[in-house]
Formats: sequence, C-alpha cells, structure tokens
Amino acid sequence: MTTAEALGTRPEQTRARYPDEEGYVERDGVRVFWERYGEGEPTILFLPTWSIVHSRIWKLQIPYFARHFQALAFDPRGNGRSDRPADAESYAEHEFAADALAVLDATGTERAAIVSLSLGAQRALLLAAEHPERVAGAVFIGPSLSLGDLHSDREAVLAFDQELATNEGWAKYNRHYWLRDYTGFLEFFFSQCFTEPHATKQIEDAVGWGLETSPQTLILTETAPGLRTREETLAVCGRVRCPVLVLHGDEDAIRPHAHGAELAELTGGTLVTLEGSGHIPLARDPVKVNLLIREFVESLERRAA
Amino acid sequence: MGESLVLAAEHPERVAGLVLIAPPVPVAGREEPPYSFDDVLDTEEGWAKENRHYWLRDWPGYLEHFFSECFTEPHSTKPIEDAVGWGLETDAETILAGFRGWDTKELDAEATVALSARIRCPVLVIHGTEDALVEPERGIALARELDAPVTLLEGSGHGPHVRDPVRVNLMLRDFAGLSPEPRKWTRAKSRRKRALYVSSPIGLGHAQRDVAIAMELRKLVPDLEIDWLAQHPVTAVLEAEGERVHPLSAELANESGHIESESAEHDLHCFQAWRRMDEILLANFMVFHDVVSEEHYDLWIGDEAWELDYYLHENPEEKRAAYVWLTDFVGWLPMPDGGEREAFLTADYNAEMIEHIARFPRVRDRALFVGNPEDVVPDSFGPELPAIRDWTEQHYDFAGYVTGFEPVADRERLRVELGYAPGELVCIVTVGGSGVGADLLRRVIAAFPEARELVPELRMIVVAGPRIDPASLSAEDGLEVRAYVHNLYRHLGACDLAVVQGGLTTAMELAANRRPFLYFPLRHHFEQNFHVLHRLERYGAGRAMDFETATPTVIARAIAEEIGREVDYLPVETDGAAKAAARIAELL
Repeated sequence: MTTAEALGTRPEQTRARYPDEEGYVERDGVRVFWERYGEGEPTILFLPTWSIVHSRIWKLQIPYFARHFQALAFDPRGNGRSDRPADAESYAEHEFAADALAVLDATGTERAAIVSLSLGAQRALLLAAEHPERVAGAVFIGPSLSLGDLHSDREAVLAFDQELATNEGWAKYNRHYWLRDYTGFLEFFFSQCFTEPHATKQIEDAVGWGLETSPQTLILTETAPGLRTREETLAVCGRVRCPVLVLHGDEDAIRPHAHGAELAELTGGTLVTLEGSGHIPLARDPVKVNLLIREFVESLERRAA
Repeated sequence: MGESLVLAAEHPERVAGLVLIAPPVPVAGREEPPYSFDDVLDTEEGWAKENRHYWLRDWPGYLEHFFSECFTEPHSTKPIEDAVGWGLETDAETILAGFRGWDTKELDAEATVALSARIRCPVLVIHGTEDALVEPERGIALARELDAPVTLLEGSGHGPHVRDPVRVNLMLRDFAGLSPEPRKWTRAKSRRKRALYVSSPIGLGHAQRDVAIAMELRKLVPDLEIDWLAQHPVTAVLEAEGERVHPLSAELANESGHIESESAEHDLHCFQAWRRMDEILLANFMVFHDVVSEEHYDLWIGDEAWELDYYLHENPEEKRAAYVWLTDFVGWLPMPDGGEREAFLTADYNAEMIEHIARFPRVRDRALFVGNPEDVVPDSFGPELPAIRDWTEQHYDFAGYVTGFEPVADRERLRVELGYAPGELVCIVTVGGSGVGADLLRRVIAAFPEARELVPELRMIVVAGPRIDPASLSAEDGLEVRAYVHNLYRHLGACDLAVVQGGLTTAMELAANRRPFLYFPLRHHFEQNFHVLHRLERYGAGRAMDFETATPTVIARAIAEEIGREVDYLPVETDGAAKAAARIAELL
C-alpha cells in the first residue's frame, strides 16, 4: 500500500490549537486564507513554502509560539484554503511577498519576525530587502535559492519540460511524470525531503497536503517568475539589513547545505548546521527548531530594547 | 547602586545595559532602622551594631554581623570569611568619612523615580527573596519604575553572585547577549556515543587510574569516544596515552599551581587549600559548562572533579548527561591543631554534601568509591552527622582499588634489567612530581651515612623530580642523586625499600608490588594523615613515619629494619578498573 492509499480521505486531525482569528485577503481577485494565533508580542509570520504544501506544514511551531508570541500563517496561492489562479504570473515570488504584506496589514501587524522554509526563502528575501520596516528578523530553514548546482543526482536529470526515458529517482521531477503519476511524484519527493529514519508520519502528512492541490497548479508555480539567477539572488541578499538565522541540515537532499551556509554569509547571519537532518527539520526535529527560533526572536527583542 | 542609575541616566552613550543586584534604592518605603546610628546605645545585640560608636569600638565584630546577614544561605562560611577579610582592609574611620547615615543618602524615593524615568537602556533586576538587608519588594518596585524585568532568586540572600555564581553568571551572560551562538546541533540518532572525562589534576594518581578505567570502558563499549577535560600534569599522561584532550582544557585555571602555592615545609593544609580554591573551581565549572553546552555527551565522569560535583548539586537543572562521580576518600576531617573552628568547618562542608545527595539523588547516577568498604575511615562526618562508613556504604558502589598497572611479574629479571648488582640492597627515595618534598629528601639524605653503617649493602637513589634542583641537595659520598629516573614505577616495583610521602597512589603502587616502604604523611594533610593511613594500615602496608620526630638516626634505623623485608600485606586487587568500568558502562 502506498502512502497516498493509506491516507484515503481522512478529515484533518485534531489540532493542538485553533486560530483565534482567521480571514482572507484579496488582491487582484486572488483570495488568500490566513490565520492568527495568540495575542503576544512580537509577531512571528510563518511564510508559505512551495505550494506543494500549505500552512499546516507549521503545525509543530504554531501552538508553541502562539503561547509565547503571536503567530501568523497563511496558505499559499495554489493550496489549502487559498485560491488556485490559473496563470503562472500569479505565482510570481513578488506576489507571495505582497500576500504576506497584505496579511500583516489585515491583522494590524506593523512588524514581524519572518520564518521561511525552502522556496519560502525567496519571498522572505524580497520582503526583508524591500520592506525593512516590516521585518524585524528572518529565519531561513533549508533555503531554496539560485546559488549554484544542486546535488549531482538531481542535476543529472534536470529537464523539467522534456519527456524522459526513465521514471527513476529525480527523473520524476518532470512535468510529464507529474501529469501521469502525481502521487508517485509526491511520495518520491517527500521521501527525499525526509531522509531521516522513522519519518513515516511526516511523509504521510506532506503527501496528504500535496494531494490537496494538483499537478497542473504545481506546473504553473514551477514556471512562475522568481529569483532565477545567482546574480538576482546576490543582489537581493546584499540589501537585507535585519538579523538572519539560517538552519540547514547537512543531509538535506533537496537543497545543498552549502547554499544555506552561503546565505548566512551573504546576509551576515548565523548558520546553525543540523547534523543528520534533512530538508524539513521543523517537522522532524521540532523541539530543537522551536528552541532555536525562540532564542533568535528573543535576541531581536533585546536588540530592539 | 544609586551611582549606577545616575550613570545610566546621564551618560546613556556609555551604558549599554544595567543589571541591578539587590538594589537598596529607596523606592518602596523602607522600615525605620530599629536603632539610631549616631546615638550611644546601651546594647550591641543584632542591628544595634549598625552604630557609629560600635563601628569604632569593634569594626571586625560589625563586619562579622553584617556579612552573616548578607549571606543568609546555609554553608556560607567561605563567602563570609572572604568579605570580612576585605572589610578589614579598610577601617571604621574610612567608611564613616564617606557615610552620613543610612537615611541621609542623596537619592530619596522621589529623586529615584525621576532618575529612573530617564533611563533608556535595557535593565535587569535580580533580587533574592531571603535578602535580609534589602527587602525584595524594593527591587521589585524599582524594576516597576524602570519597566524592567525582575528575576527573583528564591532562597537567596544579599549576595547571590557569590553564593549562586553559576546561575547569576548565566543570567548576566544572557542579558549581555553573549550566549555562545549555537553553530551546530546533531540529531539524537546521528550522535556518536561520547563521554567527557573530567580528571582532577591534583596528584598524578588520578590520571593513571582514569586511563585504566577508560581502557576497560572501551572494551565494554567499543564505539565510545572519550574526551578529556583536564590540565597539567594529567594532560601529560593523557597525551602520552594518545587520549583526546578537549581543546577548551586550555581555558582551565591552574589547580596544581594553587596547591603548590599553599604548601610549606613538608606541609600542606589540603582542606584549607581546597577551600581557598573556590574561585578556581567555579571558573573551571564555567569552562565545563561551555563545553557541554556546545557538544553532546552521553556521559560525564568526574574523578574527584570537585567543581563538577559541587556545582551540579547547586544547579541540578544543568545536568544533561549521565554522571558518574569517583573518589578514593569520603569526608573532610579536621586536623587536631585546627581547633574548634576547623572542626566546625569540616562538619559544615560534610553536612552540605550530605544534604546535596539527599535532596538531589538524581545528580549522581553512579558514585564509585575507589577502594573497599573497609578502606573508609571509622570517623564521623561531624556532630549530629552520620558515621562516614555507614553513609558511604549506603551511597556508594565499591570498585576496589584501581592501580592502573600490572604488578611486577619477575622481580629478579627486572633488577638485572635496571642494572642492580647482585647482593646490593636498593633504596629509592622519591617525592614524585611534587615541589613540596625537598625537606623530606634532605632529611633522608642526612640519614644516609648512619644507614650505610647499619646496612653495608645499601645503595640509595634519591630522585629529585622535575620541580627540585638536584644541586640543592647535598651529595653524600656513595649516594646517587638524580633529577629524573625513567620509568620510576619499575624501580619502585624492583627495589628493596622505598621512602616516600603519604600520597595514596605511590603507596598503593608499592603495596601492590609488595615492597617494604617508609612513608611520611605531609603535615596538615588530612587525607594523607587519616584516609590514606587508615587504608595502608588495613593492607598492613608500609611503615608510617612522623616528619616531626623522625631524626636522621630514627630514619636510618627504620631503613635498616625494613629493607629487603618479606612483607605480609593484604593482596591489592587487580580488577578495580574493570569493576568500575562495568558499573559505568551500564549507563551507556
């Protein structure tokens, strides 16, 4: 039985904490769903990552930070309770950044610490560079940035639009395969995200969230504008002035650890290497990640004082 | 305290932050002092000592009263002694010159509030709930004026930075934003199995037995990595054995140098020397804390690592690995000439230790006594405290003695190898690596001519060791004085007699090799005079000598009686390291 079959269509599991407030922001006809938890100070905004999952990816962070601070999260365009626009332009990185600003406005939040995972790093960089007055500090986890080559097994079959002769391994990262066997892709992809042993629940969760969107939508995100080149990326990094914390697993099979290390260097941030961790430590090692984020956010408070 | 408020308010560019410990700032109303400061009083009891005339009459008496009120925590003898000592470096006249009475300070409540409103930097107030000098309400009220957090230390008095230095240091470090930034964290499942071995540098004996235990431990847990937090001279042994000394070991404050500085002619008051090491011990605990904050260990082993054991019991929340404590003696014992004061002090330290263990039994996962129950002294911890032997049997496992080497198998062959001539009787005189031993060496050298007359076959080799200049020792005809003897332990295994100090390791080495020996416990060294002596008497090993009464003639006669004698010592076990390792391995 595959993970997807095992999941069936079960209702969402009980949450540890439900939002104190929820709502939609709408820009150019696209509605984005947000949630607010807790009343404390400061605010932490958990940015969406790639639309392959939605805001439940932060389920192990939100209840903890809601008790101490205020936590905001929103579903990305293309998944969860947000709309799924049908054109690639709508999934541009600057649109996600603009959604984040709209959520801050809607919740009356002047300034927040932002936390991003993987592809979320691009919208986080745009926010921090272009709206420094709204961003107190930024945490990047397993950042996905155009900083250089990916792992060699992935580079070898980097041909998203081509029909490939094989379905093996990273050859599944392919438009045609997605349309043929979307769950097959999800299972492969998340098994690569969670390289740590004993990660069945994390993989099941993520595959389930992936099934809430469609391969057609993901193909649009794949072709949308973003920080596509190293030059663009370096330019944006150079404009970041806020404190930065980068967490990167040294066994991240999706994004090389070296990219996280370089991001920390480019932004004058602190790198914490998570030895033995894969791409999504916030789900697999939530205690340590939560404590690191909390320590960082508290250091921002002290700096502000 | 008022001064620091003024500084922060008027020079904001110079003050990045302000920590106020037990601030006596008059925000909350202070109770009227019970006695007048300026009037002549008809009593000297309690706070009546807070009086100009009393100060001038009995300044030391005032200091003792004042500081006993500062340190209301039990077992605070050392902080009180320190503070009284510093108070005696000034006098009542000097303090009175700058003092206009407690109620006439420049800063009144109104001025304090006005000043507080101008302070912009981050502030932290720390206040003990048992502060007998400044009510914690005053710290709380000031914090409110400053809109600052207040951390209450429950059970603390007026000087928590002295009495609970670990906690206060960590709070100051966090406040200053100096917490070491974590650069790396390893998933639990990805961690290699690692132990941190903290080996006391006082005497080389620990190093030998600790290496032996580590080797046995590796046999039982082959994938175990061991780091050592240690200093010279232990590190010399560890490096020779190819052990990994943790680089932060270089940050440790020097303990053996301190012990030497406390020594006099064949004299080391080791209880006081240890008390006077409180600053070094705390500094070294903070080094340990840095090491274990940044790296994961499954197990900490402390061989008479006093700083580790003491401060873990004082800060049990800092324990984050299994912890094994090893020692070869239990109980501070007073020397007779220390009088009531020393008897009180040793009992107080014993009581604190007993309370530590009773209150936090989870801190020591194993307590291993290097020896057997019979090796524990038959004394008491002090008035109204348990018998040391009973208590130790209840709270320790017994590993038996750990020699750290194999006894000599073929003595005749070894003697040939070492160049001993047939028929000669070899006497080795050594004080190990200690610089305290020159007086003993001179005394034995003076006995050489008489001893030679009594024992014509006598060959005496005096080993000066690394810290004594051999040229400073008078050379008698026919006597060999050497700076250094390679593999000295082999000579100690082969000789016909040894003359040594009262250290446990050397004496037990001789006992294990069944060699006759004379030993001279250092004066005022309670461990050598009571604990080691008791153990050697149990083994029937060696002849104890008193440095006071041992004239050259007495020594010469003892040499003649003992040299070459067949001994009837109890055998010394050889499986101590393996037994200790087996108990430790259970935690891995």
